[in-house]
Amino acid sequence: MEPTTNLSESMDTQETLERLKAEAPALIDQVESVEALDELAAGLTGKRSPIAAGRRALGSAPPEQRRDLGRAINDVAAEIDTLLASRRDVLERAEAAAALASDRVDVTLPGRAPARGTTHVIQQVMDEIVDIFVAMGYTAATGPEIETEFYNFTALNFGAAHPSRFESDTLYLDYGHDPEGVLLRTHTSPMQARYMEQNDPPVYLVVPGRVFRRDQLDPTHSPVFHQIEGLAVDHDITFGDLKGVLAHFAHEFLGPETPVKFIPHFFPFTEPSAEMHVYTNGQWMELLGCGMVNPAVFEAVGYDPDEVTGFAFGMGADRLAMVRHGVTDLRHLFDPDQRILEQYR
Amino acid sequence: MRFTLDWLSEFVDLPTKDPERIAHALESLGHEVEGWERIEPRFEGVVVGKVLTVDAHPNADKVRVTTVDVGGEVLDIICGAWNFEAGAVVPVAKPGAVLQGDFKITRREIRGLTSNGMICSESELEIGEDASGIMVLDSDYPGATDRLGDDFRLLLPQDDVTFEVTITPNRPDCMSVYGLARELAALYDIALALPDLDYPVSDAAISVAIVDGVACPRFVGREVRGITIGSSPHPIRARLVAAGVRPISNVVDASNYAMIEFGHPTHVFDADRLGDLIVVRRAEEGEKITTLDGAERTLIAADIVVADASHPVAIAGVMGGASTEVVDETENVLVEAAYWDPPSILMTAKRLGLRSEASARFERGMDPEFCRFAADRVAKLLVDTAGGTVAGLVDEYPGRPARETIDLTMDEVERVLGVRLESELASSLLSRLGFGVSGTDPLAVDVPTRRPDVHRPVDLIEEVARLFGYDNIPARLRFGDGIGLPEQARRLRALRSLLAGAGYHEIMSFSFFGAADLDALGLPDGDPARIGINVVNPLRAEDGVMRTTLLPGLLKAASANLSKRVDDVRLFEIGKVFLPDGGVLPAQPDRLGFVAAGKPTANWEGASSGYDVYDATGLWEVIARATELADAEIRATAKAPFHPGRAADIIVGGTVLGTIGEIHPSVAATLGIEGRVIAGEIEIDPLVAERAPWRFEAPSNYPPQVFDLAFEVNDDVPARALLDAIDSAAVGLIERRRVFDVYAGDSIPEGRKSIAINLTVRAPDRTLSDNDVAPIRKRIVEAVRAATGATLRGEV
Repeated sequence: MEPTTNLSESMDTQETLERLKAEAPALIDQVESVEALDELAAGLTGKRSPIAAGRRALGSAPPEQRRDLGRAINDVAAEIDTLLASRRDVLERAEAAAALASDRVDVTLPGRAPARGTTHVIQQVMDEIVDIFVAMGYTAATGPEIETEFYNFTALNFGAAHPSRFESDTLYLDYGHDPEGVLLRTHTSPMQARYMEQNDPPVYLVVPGRVFRRDQLDPTHSPVFHQIEGLAVDHDITFGDLKGVLAHFAHEFLGPETPVKFIPHFFPFTEPSAEMHVYTNGQWMELLGCGMVNPAVFEAVGYDPDEVTGFAFGMGADRLAMVRHGVTDLRHLFDPDQRILEQYR
Repeated sequence: MRFTLDWLSEFVDLPTKDPERIAHALESLGHEVEGWERIEPRFEGVVVGKVLTVDAHPNADKVRVTTVDVGGEVLDIICGAWNFEAGAVVPVAKPGAVLQGDFKITRREIRGLTSNGMICSESELEIGEDASGIMVLDSDYPGATDRLGDDFRLLLPQDDVTFEVTITPNRPDCMSVYGLARELAALYDIALALPDLDYPVSDAAISVAIVDGVACPRFVGREVRGITIGSSPHPIRARLVAAGVRPISNVVDASNYAMIEFGHPTHVFDADRLGDLIVVRRAEEGEKITTLDGAERTLIAADIVVADASHPVAIAGVMGGASTEVVDETENVLVEAAYWDPPSILMTAKRLGLRSEASARFERGMDPEFCRFAADRVAKLLVDTAGGTVAGLVDEYPGRPARETIDLTMDEVERVLGVRLESELASSLLSRLGFGVSGTDPLAVDVPTRRPDVHRPVDLIEEVARLFGYDNIPARLRFGDGIGLPEQARRLRALRSLLAGAGYHEIMSFSFFGAADLDALGLPDGDPARIGINVVNPLRAEDGVMRTTLLPGLLKAASANLSKRVDDVRLFEIGKVFLPDGGVLPAQPDRLGFVAAGKPTANWEGASSGYDVYDATGLWEVIARATELADAEIRATAKAPFHPGRAADIIVGGTVLGTIGEIHPSVAATLGIEGRVIAGEIEIDPLVAERAPWRFEAPSNYPPQVFDLAFEVNDDVPARALLDAIDSAAVGLIERRRVFDVYAGDSIPEGRKSIAINLTVRAPDRTLSDNDVAPIRKRIVEAVRAATGATLRGEV
């Protein structure tokens, strides 16, 4: 759109300015794109515009009119520039909005999710239990899964003819020349003896790990399962400490209001021995076995039972994972079906 | 063990009959109650009656017509059983009675005569298995004769309950109704009744010679003469059934009953088949005996036998011999009650596969002092149920145990339990459990011979604590001074999270496999993974070797998933492998294994391709960066079970850390996997080793120079050689280098390939000008040319 006024050709500059001032708003308002606005702006105030021509002609105007005429040109130019800027702003916003509108997609389509895996639920449970004891000042350690019969049984005060040593119960290995034989550890307790042999008291130890029994795989048994063992040995550890620490553990693991009770039990390597039961999911459940370290164990590892006392405990991680997550068949935990694994979130 | 409340109540008058409270009491003593069950008769309307007359049915041969006095009323009842005559006292279901929950008894016609009810068998009343005839109560239930018309249920134990209790192996003294009664009596501080069995000590016709006093410290034999073999009265059979023991005959039942009642197993010989001398000795190696079950057993020198002058007549504590077995004609018996060396019994029973309720008791240790009572209890039962008379006694006791006395201080009690007890209280608690206690502090505690588990003060402290109540010991929360989670353990956790974050799911597979699993991997004969440790007694022969590699478990898991149409499988496992190395124990290093197969999940933007070797090396790059092993060398390798051209060893400091890549197509096919499968197995220790903290490097604020170089090189030259040359040529200046194109084809000569690399070069202290970069570029090109023979194709 071209302005109809040519300022440079008009003898009556004042009149031309008046016309320009009157026509420009409508011209600017009619423009519908930034590009068109740029063209119009060139015609109104650019190098070849009446405004520019008027300015060029100023020099030849009578000196007494020059100042007023110059101001008039500038006023009109400023007014037009303001209108142009305002219109440009409107048009730019509209164009940006239109561009965004055309960029719209269906955000409810599935996103590009990075593949996500999981850690095993038994590992999660073991880590969590270890962490609770770590927070109580225990050291985490692990031990060998193939173990000598000495550390698995003898050092823990199992009699030479204890039924647990039977080949019907324990998996033995054809390895080495240890007179007592080599086996797959049946519990994490051998680490009690190993650790005490190598470390002076005090001992505050928690040992997660894999253990083995000669049990056929069924809904509640597996030849491979997982335990967390604990041991505290110091100069005045009592059965009261055992109760306090393990109850604290139960409250951390299952909730602060969880009722606990300790009932007498038997393990060769503890005396007195107990089971801790917890009330959860509407029933009492055995959570772990525990007891005061039997003096015979201290003697086997070279601790003086008159100097130190201690307690030990052990629990099954697999069963706790089942209880916590409503798994009704132990075999599911050893099933690598990824549809199961994906639930271990 | 199982037993009934009615039986238990013969010995203790419990303050409660509530099974739940009794179960709780047992549990608080350390005797785990597996469950309890009410014994509730499923019949009603059955009364005690006396048969007045028995006559033939005029129209039928197989039934008889009786008249039965049911207490002021006489009923005509037609009965098909023949095991009774007039005068018998019997249970009578009157018309209107209900049996077996819903079987209504009505008057009914039988061959023209009306039968007004039914005379019942045990089986019909569901209180026993005997269906051969009706119950005859006057012999089984003394006093029944005086209760005509009474509800028959009143003759049976009232509100009875069966308990099932697991006795811990340290408490052989509790493997009986009486043993548990003793515990409850101690808990409640109430009286414990013991029947008076004061049979005379008179010489037996038989004599006993104990050759090995360790094997048999005591042997008691009690003769009972003039018995008649038959079945036991119903109350005894009912208790046996409730205890899970099948009734056999009055003699066998007496022995079993007494064992459940008092714990001590006995054996009953036919005295007339035994001869006049018993020799108790170890077996001779290879000696043979035919046992009660008819099997011929070969003995070894460690077995203990009861023998006559020349041959074994019983395997001591394990099973009797056929030659002296009580038979239907037996009249005179010898009841043996002995103490057998526990480990010997255990080993013999285990070797012969003959572990039983009896051997389980002997292997834990019976009370030698109780032998005489045990034999006499059986004798009493035989008098009561088989019509015998008690005769002679033989009691050889070469190994009477020394009584143990233990000093117990209250300081020691406090040191272990954390609570101070008055010595009077401790003394009282121990006395209630049958310990002899004298003194105040220390207490001098005499240990009963029935308690093989008590030797040390701490064993007494447990007794005190049990009865004091674990609940009454105050708890105290005490923290340790340990070091928490060691660095390796923390790094291992981080590694697990990293793999999960990279899309892999952790599995836990069993630690054993079989040779077939290694065959499936195509491992050659000499492969180190073939040298595994055998399980002596595997559950399944095909799982008889400790795993030497994680790959079989992972590959089988992948295959199983694909066969279930889980199409994108990504699994990892962290666990031990077991490698013989000549030490006392084998090497048991932890390894990381992974596998991925199938199709990475495609979305609506388009399908994705499967996994290939670069997914494996890429996963390693992620691990390497996180574990600061980015300098590890990746070197092509060709070994089973991997694809010979698509696998690599990871090498750190000259040691192979692991192998990753694609699985050999034929191995994949063997495992039933279609398409490419990637897998890897890497040693964990170097990944989680302690290491110095990383050091901060300030990034340069100067602009970089970015340029591309495309090299043409023989196609057997590994890219790694080019990259290493580039790195060495501009140390400290290359911020980033990236292979962005590998190409062979049209414009490249046969046997050559193009590798294009994008380089970002930046100085830490200044802006690099074009003039600075030109010599760097030149150095790089020269270095690559020198190392690989590559020519520069020109800047792309």
